Amino acid sequence: MAVAVAKRRRVGGGLGSERTREALVGYGFVALPMAFFLLFFIFPIGYAFYISRYNWQIFKGPFVGWDNYRTLYHDSVFWSHAVRNTLVYAAFVVPLQMALGLTLAVVVNQGIRFRTFFRAAFYFPSLAASAAIAAIAIYILASDGLFNTILHHLGYEHSNAWFAQQSTALPSIIGLNAWTTSGTIMLFYLAALQAIPMDVYEAAAIDGAGAWRTFRKITFPLLKPGHFFVAVVSVIGAVQMFDQSFLIGGASGGPNYSTLTVVLYLYNQAIGNIKFGYAAAVGVVLFTFIFTVTLIQRLLFGRAEVT
Amino acid sequence: MDVERAQPALVGDELLLEGEGASTKGSTGIPGRERGDRIRRAIAYAVMFLVAALFAIPFLWSVSTSFRTLADTVAGFSLLPRHWTTSGYHEAFHTFNFGKYTLNSAIIAGAITLSNLFLASLGGYAFARLKFPGREVLFMLVLGTLMIPDQLRLVPIYLMLVNWIPSWVGHLGWHNASLVNRNGVILIQLVSATSLFLMRQYFLTIPRDLEEAAKLDAAGYFKTYRKVMLPLAGPALAAVGILTFQGTWNALFWPAVLLQDKTQYTIPIGIANFIGAYQTNWPPLMAASVLAIVPILVIFVVFQRYFVAGIASAGVKG
Repeated sequence: MAVAVAKRRRVGGGLGSERTREALVGYGFVALPMAFFLLFFIFPIGYAFYISRYNWQIFKGPFVGWDNYRTLYHDSVFWSHAVRNTLVYAAFVVPLQMALGLTLAVVVNQGIRFRTFFRAAFYFPSLAASAAIAAIAIYILASDGLFNTILHHLGYEHSNAWFAQQSTALPSIIGLNAWTTSGTIMLFYLAALQAIPMDVYEAAAIDGAGAWRTFRKITFPLLKPGHFFVAVVSVIGAVQMFDQSFLIGGASGGPNYSTLTVVLYLYNQAIGNIKFGYAAAVGVVLFTFIFTVTLIQRLLFGRAEVT
Repeated sequence: MDVERAQPALVGDELLLEGEGASTKGSTGIPGRERGDRIRRAIAYAVMFLVAALFAIPFLWSVSTSFRTLADTVAGFSLLPRHWTTSGYHEAFHTFNFGKYTLNSAIIAGAITLSNLFLASLGGYAFARLKFPGREVLFMLVLGTLMIPDQLRLVPIYLMLVNWIPSWVGHLGWHNASLVNRNGVILIQLVSATSLFLMRQYFLTIPRDLEEAAKLDAAGYFKTYRKVMLPLAGPALAAVGILTFQGTWNALFWPAVLLQDKTQYTIPIGIANFIGAYQTNWPPLMAASVLAIVPILVIFVVFQRYFVAGIASAGVKG
């Protein structure tokens, strides 16, 4: 009898049918995650914009329209330090990490022993806590640290702490992050490299092309979708840089704003100065920028591919 | 990024190791190539060992310093500690509270990992297997959240955790307390789009026959999920668990926004605070760094292959 009931249910269409039950259970199973995403991801987009139109400090103040954006437009610390540093950082770190990542990928893609070990070793800095890596970097780049000691033995004298000097702080962070992120970029490129069909290499070998020529004329151009994907991901990551500036430069992005980034500035305005309306405006501007980059990528190249 | 097509090989070999890759070596049959290949491989070895050494030196140096005395760190260069001591660790644990911070990190990362495993597997099962109107739209919405940067969410979430949610909870009769603390950090990371995506993709690859059998058994959907699907989803659960744990163990941003009470600091926030306050007391600082790194290193060495799954959706963080 139970079988008969089940059969009737399956063919029936109304409430209580198998299909309705499945749908209800489906909604039930995704209800918690969906509520979570709506509350903590979708809703905050609109709420951020709403907050940005108020003079909102500890408590919600009067509606000020576009005033926060106008203030931001004339904010010299924002433009001449936060934005400038972020752009300089991105302009250097993106090509550096791409070059380093591609080099590592090509090298570990050779058919040699211990590949597993090398790939793992190169990837690991990407996985370690940024706080720990920053602490180690501060130690190594301290005035009497390992790096200056090595420089001394090589005949160069440098006695300042690299992160403590206005002129070297940001470049040091660029070098540090090019290193830690290169492992991730390596994996992206490795996937792209392995998608290149073998026969093009065989054709090149028959033509007698050397290793460097093969790389320059074949591998590099064929990696174009990979380059583009990696570049976009890197740029989006770079304009959101926060950790190293926060850890090394402190909340103010010191010394003298030299490591202040857009996100650190936003953090300071919100958590340090309790200017929520203003900080929300910074967030909206940053989001618009990142969203535009993503959109341009989609328009120009359709759906980007990882492999 | 097109997440749909970036489906990672969850049960793949270690770090994309399949095959010989695009190496041009081997049976080209061209005379003289053998020697060129050998030279090339020798160069590759040399470069790799050199780079691997460069990558390893900072970590080894920090381990070496964590076993030194403070006096030893300023006494000029020596590869190994002149006097081995664990006082750096002792100080880190007791004087600078890293024992407490380690516990806090474990609680936060552990809670978020467990909740991701449950919510993502249940939701992933529904998105992969159950038919309900609007399923595709809802799933696209989930993937869309990957494009929303944390920075945009900072102010709204902060205000929600200070005001709204505590007052809602207060209406339900629970005590009305701010969530700008450890509970808030956990609450806003209960599940991630990445976790949900990975689980759904994995469930899609499981053959349907087994569920059909369960259906004939008249087992409910939850029972099918728990008794049939979950036991088969080991690799996906491992990947989600490992990636979530690694991400939240290392995380700086949300803890920096939400943790204000020192007793709730995580290791990264503890390190940030230490750097600001006692910068040149190197042995405990390096001990704290080793403490932050070692659990992830162990997980990485044991479960390497699952980490690859994450790169497709994780992006590049500085």
